[in-house]
Formats: sequence, C-alpha cells, structure tokens
Amino acid sequence: MHNILFYCRLTTEITILWFVIYQIMLFFEGTRGSQVLRGIIMLFLAFFIFQKFNFTVLDWLLQKLFGISVIVLFIIFHPEIRQGLAKLGKRRIFNVNLKEVELDLMLNEIGKASENLSHIKIGALIVIERHDPLVSYLQSGVNIDAYVRSELIQAIFTPNNPLHDGAIILQHNRISSAGCILPLTDKQEINRLFGTRHRAAIGLSEETDAIIIVVSEERQDISLVYKGRLYKDLGQEELKIKIKEIFKIK
Amino acid sequence: MNINKTSLIKRIVHLFTYHPWLKLIALTLAVIVWFYVRGEQPKP
Repeated sequence: MHNILFYCRLTTEITILWFVIYQIMLFFEGTRGSQVLRGIIMLFLAFFIFQKFNFTVLDWLLQKLFGISVIVLFIIFHPEIRQGLAKLGKRRIFNVNLKEVELDLMLNEIGKASENLSHIKIGALIVIERHDPLVSYLQSGVNIDAYVRSELIQAIFTPNNPLHDGAIILQHNRISSAGCILPLTDKQEINRLFGTRHRAAIGLSEETDAIIIVVSEERQDISLVYKGRLYKDLGQEELKIKIKEIFKIK
Repeated sequence: MNINKTSLIKRIVHLFTYHPWLKLIALTLAVIVWFYVRGEQPKP
C-alpha cells in the first residue's frame, strides 16, 4: 500500500514537472531565448553530473554561478517573461461561433481582395481574430466596424490612403479596425526576402492564435501565417481551404 | 471564432506528433530534477 502511494506520488510529481518544463521549452521554441535556454539546460546537466561524481570545485563554481544568474536571466528573458505574463492574463469571456456560410462569405471577400491587390502590386495585412483577444492591437488603429467586402479592403490598402499602413483586424465577420500596428518577430532565421509586413505577421502569430494573411507587393504573392508558421504562394482557393482547416482545429 | 471541436483521436495523435523531441527532453529533465531534489531533501 505504502509502495503504491509512493509510485502514485512519484508519477504525479514527474508529470507536473514534465508539463511545466515542456511548456517553458515550447514557449521559447523558435525565439532568440531558445539558444539561451539550451545553454542553461547544458549548464544544469553539467551541474548534475558534477554533483553525482563529487567534483567539488566545479560543483562549487556552478553553484555560485547559478546564484548570480537569476538576475541575469530576468534581464535576458525580459521580453519573453512579459509576453508570457500577458498570455496568462488573457481570459476568454465570449466564445463566438461563426457559421460556415458566414465564414465562406468572409473568405470569398478576403480571397478576392487579396488576389486583386497582389495583381496590382499593392501590399496588405489582414488579421482574423480567433480565440485570443486582439484588443491591444485594435486600439493602435482606427475603429471601422464594417462588413467584410473586397472593395473596402482594397480601398483601405490603396497607397496614399491614411489607413493603408498597418493591418486590418477582422472580428466576428466584420472589419473592426484598420491601420493597426503589429509586433515584429524576433526570429533571426526568417528569409531576407521577407519584409516588415511578413515579420509583423509572424510576430503577431507568435503571441496570439490569429490567422494573418499577407499580400506582398514585391513578390506579388499571398501568404498565410498561423502560430509562427508561414504558408507562402497561396492561390485564392488554397487560402480558403487553409483557413477553413485552421478554423476546424480548436 | 470557432466552428467545430476536434475529435479525441485527433487530439491524441497530435499529442504524439507535435514536438516529440521537445517532449522527450522535457521528460528527461523532469526525471533528473525530481531525483536531484529528492537527493537534496533531508531523510525523515
């Protein structure tokens, strides 16, 4: 009985530990902080080995190093900690379900607008809100609250228009805001061919679960960004299928 | 905005196919941390 209780406790404790460590690693995956995290894991493993084999001098040195490294870690991981706390503070109050017909109509309009804009070499950044609220980004733009229509999207992104710079954010099948400023990604391995628009799209997708459509004015192509991943060179139909696929994944 | 809920099978498959290496490393670290802390704690 005592043994069963011990193994139950052991399994639970290790599972909780595993979950926390995995979430931390997942959070840092693909960011600049992941390299630092890898270094810390290596140091931690070295510390464990030194202790096991009684390397007293090295063990003492590493213990001192860990002591002072707490403050250093806070400084190095400052942006990631801020981002993580912001994610923790997010609460879903309303979970609005979008009907398939409404989604189809919206995607048709987005697809049409994206294709037309890419043909006439005009860049665009369209954000579709999902579960994570985009309130802070909405506030950086101008409130519109209009139906999603391809003509309106094209008008917004036409150069010399005061709202053409920035992104439009779509909420519950409506254009909520235009000229919104998005966070840029820290990823270093992004192809140099991609400009600020793609960096902003990836940046937002790393922080939220929003779907972002990018129309490149230089390369005249349509890309989709979701959860840090970029799907490039999509046609109108491919774009629709991809977005529908994402909407079906909770 | 959400349409359908994912099936349980899809979720289970996703559990094993999404970052399997990261999960394995995290598990190794969890075991090491557990045994280290256990060793550091005073025995009753």
